[in-house]
Amino acid sequence: MVQVVFEKVRKSFGATVAIPCLDLRIESGEFVSLLGPSGCGKTTTLRMLAGLEQTSSGSIRIGDRDVVDLAPAARDIAMVFQSYALYPHMTVAENICYPLKKRGVAKAERATKLADVAALLQLGPLLDRKPKQLSGGQQQRVALGRALVRDPSVFLLDEPLSNLDAALRAHMRAELIELHRRLGKTMVYVTHDQLEAMTMSTRIAVMRDGVLQQFAPPAEIYNHPANAFVAGFIGTPAMTLADGLLLREADKAIVRVGALAIDLPQARAASLPAATPSAITVGIRPEDVAVGAGPWAARVRLVEPIGHETIVFLDADGLSLTARVTGSAALHAGETVAFDLRRDRLHLFDKIDGRRLATVPSA
Amino acid sequence: MTTRRPNLLASLIAWPLVLIIAFPLAWMLLTSIKPAAELFTRTPQWLPRSITFEHYTRVLTETPFLQYFGNSMILAISTTVLVILVSVLGAYSLVRFRYRGRETLAALVLFTYLLPSVVLISPLYLMLVKVGLANTLASLVAAYMSFALPYALWLLRSFMAGIPEDLESAAMVDGASRMGAFVDVVLPQALPGIISTALFTFILAWNEYLYALVLVNSDEARPLTTGVMNMLISAFNIEWSLLMAASVMMSIPLVILFAFFQRYLTSSFGAGGVKG
Amino acid sequence: MPDAAAARPPGAGALERRDALLGMALIAPTILVLGAVIVYPLLSAIYLSFFSIYTPTLEGHFVGLANYRDLLGSGGFWSALVTTAIWTVGTLTLQILVGVGMALLLHQNILFRSLARGLVLFPYFLSTVVAVLVWRWLFNDLYGILNQMLMNAGIIAAPVNWLGAMPNAMLSIMVVGAWKFFPFVVIAVLARLQTIPESLYEAARIDGAGPVSRFFDVTLPQLRDVLTIVILLRTVWDFKEFDLIYLMTGGGPVNGTRTLPLIVYNQAFGLNQMGMAAAYAVSMMLVMLVFMLAYLRRANARSEADSAA
Repeated sequence: MVQVVFEKVRKSFGATVAIPCLDLRIESGEFVSLLGPSGCGKTTTLRMLAGLEQTSSGSIRIGDRDVVDLAPAARDIAMVFQSYALYPHMTVAENICYPLKKRGVAKAERATKLADVAALLQLGPLLDRKPKQLSGGQQQRVALGRALVRDPSVFLLDEPLSNLDAALRAHMRAELIELHRRLGKTMVYVTHDQLEAMTMSTRIAVMRDGVLQQFAPPAEIYNHPANAFVAGFIGTPAMTLADGLLLREADKAIVRVGALAIDLPQARAASLPAATPSAITVGIRPEDVAVGAGPWAARVRLVEPIGHETIVFLDADGLSLTARVTGSAALHAGETVAFDLRRDRLHLFDKIDGRRLATVPSA
Repeated sequence: MTTRRPNLLASLIAWPLVLIIAFPLAWMLLTSIKPAAELFTRTPQWLPRSITFEHYTRVLTETPFLQYFGNSMILAISTTVLVILVSVLGAYSLVRFRYRGRETLAALVLFTYLLPSVVLISPLYLMLVKVGLANTLASLVAAYMSFALPYALWLLRSFMAGIPEDLESAAMVDGASRMGAFVDVVLPQALPGIISTALFTFILAWNEYLYALVLVNSDEARPLTTGVMNMLISAFNIEWSLLMAASVMMSIPLVILFAFFQRYLTSSFGAGGVKG
Repeated sequence: MPDAAAARPPGAGALERRDALLGMALIAPTILVLGAVIVYPLLSAIYLSFFSIYTPTLEGHFVGLANYRDLLGSGGFWSALVTTAIWTVGTLTLQILVGVGMALLLHQNILFRSLARGLVLFPYFLSTVVAVLVWRWLFNDLYGILNQMLMNAGIIAAPVNWLGAMPNAMLSIMVVGAWKFFPFVVIAVLARLQTIPESLYEAARIDGAGPVSRFFDVTLPQLRDVLTIVILLRTVWDFKEFDLIYLMTGGGPVNGTRTLPLIVYNQAFGLNQMGMAAAYAVSMMLVMLVFMLAYLRRANARSEADSAA
């Protein structure tokens, strides 16, 4: 069952067009992340879904209702704000019960639901405190509690973890995954943090300048980015993207990038559409660069040991490459090493419009 | 400010200056409790040899002071209530809603906040005579709105702009209507600002002189400012002890407000006048 | 839940429209009151300035620009303008000097600081009527404490006529004005001082700046914005001050302290020339407009900077 549908949704602020035309279908029970750099329209999209921002045109449906002209209160949603937006003059208990009170839930039932949520989020000892007396993590749980206490059809979360420190963020990430699994509710989650999007989502909607770039499960976004933007945006360290040429001779295909001439595997060459441009953007993931042996040589520019892996920045005759090596590598800046590429995993994009040339067979 | 240790040098410079600044008020108080005989001596008598409250009792029994005081109270309180009612709604509208003419209106409010009273006074006088309000407390309330409302709007606007919009958004998502969110979330958050604004409006109305001078010429509607000044102007022989006693008494409400709400007064001060 | 899709009017924006209507409903009382007690009187002041009206009977006739011609031709307007400028510059200078100095002192951790602050700030909240009564008693030529102290100290031989002679009267009202209004400067500057980050002073200290250069290189530049606003605002307010001058000197001796607001009042209710009074008021406002617009621009620039941040 389709839960949330954006259909030809447009949003402009005065003369500025924030979102030209957005189509998005979110299935019931999904955890969808809206991911993109700041200003990409992800928060505007969420706020339009919440009814806090009016669409300029197009329709938004939740379930079978068109909600564009409904007030937020009538949309049957719950939302967690980046700032938490806890009511400072109310206690934790009053904050959590506020949505119930506004919907005329009887006092006894409110108490039961409050107790349930408090138990779920371990808020018991905090119920009589004011938000100011809570730590950031505790405030976050209260904001979550206020959303959970009702049984809305969609949960909206606007960068809920961005104000937490790194350790707490990892912990809350796990808790949110667990929560989603347990509740099975549709959740729409706005973030600029790809780690959050990758780990939590069933599907990710990558946005840029108000335009949806790709809407797919995390693995597909990572392995088959729809265009050069998604390819460069997803993955840490970032994929190497460089201008190159695609040369075709009979049934062979050769990619020239920098001083390298890379023979594509037979199957890959065959899968390329016939009418492919010769000017392309070549994308190489760091884990697809094998350092130590291979037909090419590069100078080591910088070595970043992280512990479980090492990031190596290479210079192959003017082509800058990033490589990921498992464990610690006995490499030093300045020395020359041999390297190879996983040719079946090269990402090829049209240089003009950035679109992916063909599907890469997954490994 | 880094150390908690008192700065003695600064104290030695500051306190004599503070005392000089406070001296006129101290002298007012001392004059008001001195027997009349001690007042007119060749050599100044710093501290009274004996304390008397006769001037206070004379002001209260022999002059219409209490009536003026009552008028001022009614005037200041009704002005404050009206101004707060109108300006709380108006400021909220200016801060949170989008409609044509909003920016112009905000600029107009700021402009009126700088407008001199003497420009408005003749037309206001004519208008109030025409609608039959001349010489009443109501006419003064109307006139006081002309300076108190822009001031209150400007203060409250900057207070309300400081309330995170997310709070209202959250309330609306949680099931409140727009006005519900205003009542449940904005009003409690704006309360310190509303208190400051109310205090300021009260003080402005309590201290106003010019409109009271022009619009009212009977004791039934005369507030303290013009009433007490009349005692000075109409007296054949100026009795300074009486005037000082009256001055002390008309300042008592301000002293009380100032003592208990100094924090509110100084905070709104910054918000309205200077922060823009 | 009602099905909104069916009831939806053509074109999007029902939410926004409902919102705008509510916003206008909330501002309506404000517009009504401002219109009645400010906009209408302001426009009719301009209208009245083209008439000759006798105040007690309110009868009059149209005279066109005659009021303005008379006003600009007579020396009264120009000398009052000069008097107003002298008063404004004089009292404002005192307010700024005393205000900034006092703010710097009160920013230090002095003994009984909150009491000192309370005492210093209180005159601003006091009624001008009370301030005037107190100061006129202090300035009293026969029994005033000021003359007595100065004579006892041997500074003057005979009592000084503080309010009845020039330039004494002008200097006296400048001092009273400064005493009454300098707390405004103190509060504004004090609030700003508290927001100057300590790290700026630490950086200056590391760079070898002494206390004097720390004041000129760190404190003063940080105060520049707030002082600009305070000076503009107080210029407008001092320029239009009526109560204090009217009650201290009534504009005298002769016309020594007669500023523009006093002329307006005197024309309207002393000489009963309401049309002429309106012409004076409008002319005065045109002079003030320069400062008002400067302040408006400044304030708007600030609020835009705030909302952008």
